[in-house]
Amino acid sequence: MNAMGIIFASDREVKLNELTIHRTTASLPFGGRYRLIDFALSNFVNSGVTRIGIIAKNNYNSLMDHIRMGRDWDLNRKNAGIIVFPPFVRSTSQEVYKGKIEALYTNLSFIKEAKEDYVFIVNSNIAANIDYESAVKAMEEKNADILVFTSRTDYANSRRLIVTANEDDKITDMIFSDFFNGEEHLVGINAYIIRRDLLCFLIETAYARSFIDWEKDVLQAQYKNMHMISYEIKEHVSVIDDIKSYFKANMALLDKGVREELFHKYGNVFTKVKDSSPTTYGENAVIKNSLIADGCVIDGVVENSIIFRGVKIGKGAKVSNSILMEHTEVGEAGRLSYVITDKKVTVSPNCSLSGFATYPIVIVKGKTV
Amino acid sequence: MIREEFMFTNKKECVAMLLAGGQGTRLGVLTRDVAKPAVPFGGKYRIIDFTLSNCINSGIDTIGVLTQYQPFELNQYIGNGQPWDLDRINGGVFVLPPYVRGKTGEWYKGTANAIYQNIKFVDTYDPEYVLVLSGDHIYKMDYDKMLDAHKAEGADCTIAVIDVPIEEASRFGIMKTEDGGNRITEFFEKPKNPVSTKASMGIYIFNWQLLRSYLIADEEDKNSDNDFGKNIIPRMLADGKRMFAYGFSGYWKDVGTIHSLWQANMDLLDKNSGINLADGKWKIYARNNALPPHHIGESAEVKTSIISEGGDINGSVIDSVIFQNVTIKSGAYIEHSVIMPNVVIEEGAKVCHAIIAQNTTIGKNAVIGGELITEDDITVIGANAVIPEETQVEKGAMLEGRV
Repeated sequence: MNAMGIIFASDREVKLNELTIHRTTASLPFGGRYRLIDFALSNFVNSGVTRIGIIAKNNYNSLMDHIRMGRDWDLNRKNAGIIVFPPFVRSTSQEVYKGKIEALYTNLSFIKEAKEDYVFIVNSNIAANIDYESAVKAMEEKNADILVFTSRTDYANSRRLIVTANEDDKITDMIFSDFFNGEEHLVGINAYIIRRDLLCFLIETAYARSFIDWEKDVLQAQYKNMHMISYEIKEHVSVIDDIKSYFKANMALLDKGVREELFHKYGNVFTKVKDSSPTTYGENAVIKNSLIADGCVIDGVVENSIIFRGVKIGKGAKVSNSILMEHTEVGEAGRLSYVITDKKVTVSPNCSLSGFATYPIVIVKGKTV
Repeated sequence: MIREEFMFTNKKECVAMLLAGGQGTRLGVLTRDVAKPAVPFGGKYRIIDFTLSNCINSGIDTIGVLTQYQPFELNQYIGNGQPWDLDRINGGVFVLPPYVRGKTGEWYKGTANAIYQNIKFVDTYDPEYVLVLSGDHIYKMDYDKMLDAHKAEGADCTIAVIDVPIEEASRFGIMKTEDGGNRITEFFEKPKNPVSTKASMGIYIFNWQLLRSYLIADEEDKNSDNDFGKNIIPRMLADGKRMFAYGFSGYWKDVGTIHSLWQANMDLLDKNSGINLADGKWKIYARNNALPPHHIGESAEVKTSIISEGGDINGSVIDSVIFQNVTIKSGAYIEHSVIMPNVVIEEGAKVCHAIIAQNTTIGKNAVIGGELITEDDITVIGANAVIPEETQVEKGAMLEGRV
């Protein structure tokens, strides 16, 4: 395809607290066996985009270990392929990337040396299965300068761009607002396509004028001067920018329709292969409405939960409405309700932990409770 | 441990030759379109994964896989060997089918002939030793330890042996060793009255130059079956070569019959059977698909079973092995069975003591199989079949795949 991709591994505005202490947003485990960036990568490779740069700011060890040469996404290519850009410090204050504009400016040579006409600029905190080929086609048909991926939702926070578009999908207004009265609005999901030559011009100009914020200082400032269109994604989209939306996005996977859209609609979702053995269920296992990955040993009760690889749930234990990341161990008769455990958490036998639907408890990586 | 002189050449200390050409006729419909080593096993593997993984875990990274019967799916599955860490610049896995030379060329006539025809392949790596394996068994074994024993004894040939029950001994190559040692004194191929219970596992280490000369000599003998067990090994023994037995004790299963294939799958559900796939210290690798985790629904019941990725489980699954991407609808009841990839079991269907092969659909309320009283009672439905609603398939039946 005549497009290249840039993925931001993290975003200042994404408040995932304990879940992103050790990692970038892109590396955030999701859906039982993925990391958030797998959706962006799979969308790219399924649409034939094979020149991809990932801009990383900090804590990107697990990200680089996850990506390696890109082989598991079929991106280990001779021509182009995938590359992770560690931060490049320009300023004398040694501060890394004041914003996306500076990040893009610093890596502009990657964009300039490419041959493709279009550049995708996407955040990594989006769980969605998107047909990128149709989007580029829409852009070409409408002769657009910039395409903004949008989705209809009744939830927004102060960093979500609310978009108004006319019948031709041309964007007529863009505001940041967290005023919502339960109505549905068209909201940008922090994914864009832009003509490569235009991108270079905009970034160079913006940097020269000390602009920092890509959405505020470029898109919102310029939409009147350019042909910007909205491309609405009708399928399920999850934008994950806080613990609440992370929890909700995972739980949505318990619905078959959502799984079919997210994991298969325009291609499969690829992720790093870990060679786990299949999951074993014991004689005391009682499983209701849960998503369970490989390598688990389960002999307890699991309800409405997302269970990642290698999790052990002992006899008499009960796990409900929870998300247990890789290698979590729940001892016999342990009880978890509305809990998110990071990797390698140990829950002692008979231990009971309970959060709320609106406020799940997060247990950080490696902790024993 | 890489010896310095090997680092800049193509030389390997040991090359493995994996015999994967057999038809596996006793597996019936399961091997009609696919070679036995490519038959699915254990929820996410193929039979050959065990031998390939044993090799790489033992430090052997150069493997010739000798194919012959229905090799397409096996070749595709092995590919460049990357899933087993065998995608190498120096070494790797190579599929070796029979080939034409000039105006001649022939199929592999026997296990020894298969290696005879690939002498050139082995010579490329100029190894000291050749490890001969088959791709038919489920087991975990460190071949490096066997090679250490071979070197320590100054052997010409080492044969891995396992103790088998005396009633079964006549199915195997049986070995007699010297008192207090491992030197083989007598060898009997499938003896009617076995004198020992030390059975050959079909795993041999040879000094390559010696084996090479025996293979060439054996090819000249028009009366030979060109087989290791029938010809090469007895001849080496008769010539006074130093042949040693290497004892193996551990889980080792020949999955060449329907019942043994079914039983080996069921062994995975038994903590005491001796086979543990979850052991991180000796991983079994396989080619993986991009599938999401399996979902177990509200009306499902899952007990003492193994379930792989991509499944959509809404029925009952008891004491069974469920492979990737299997759909089990509400009201379906699966017990003591092996359900291979992409199978769909419709509402109300019952499957008991059966093997259902890939891509097959079992229609609503169908009843497949029944009680297990004798070994012949395992029911088999071949790949790509459609079993219509309400159909009853009696136990022990084997149905062809074609729709």
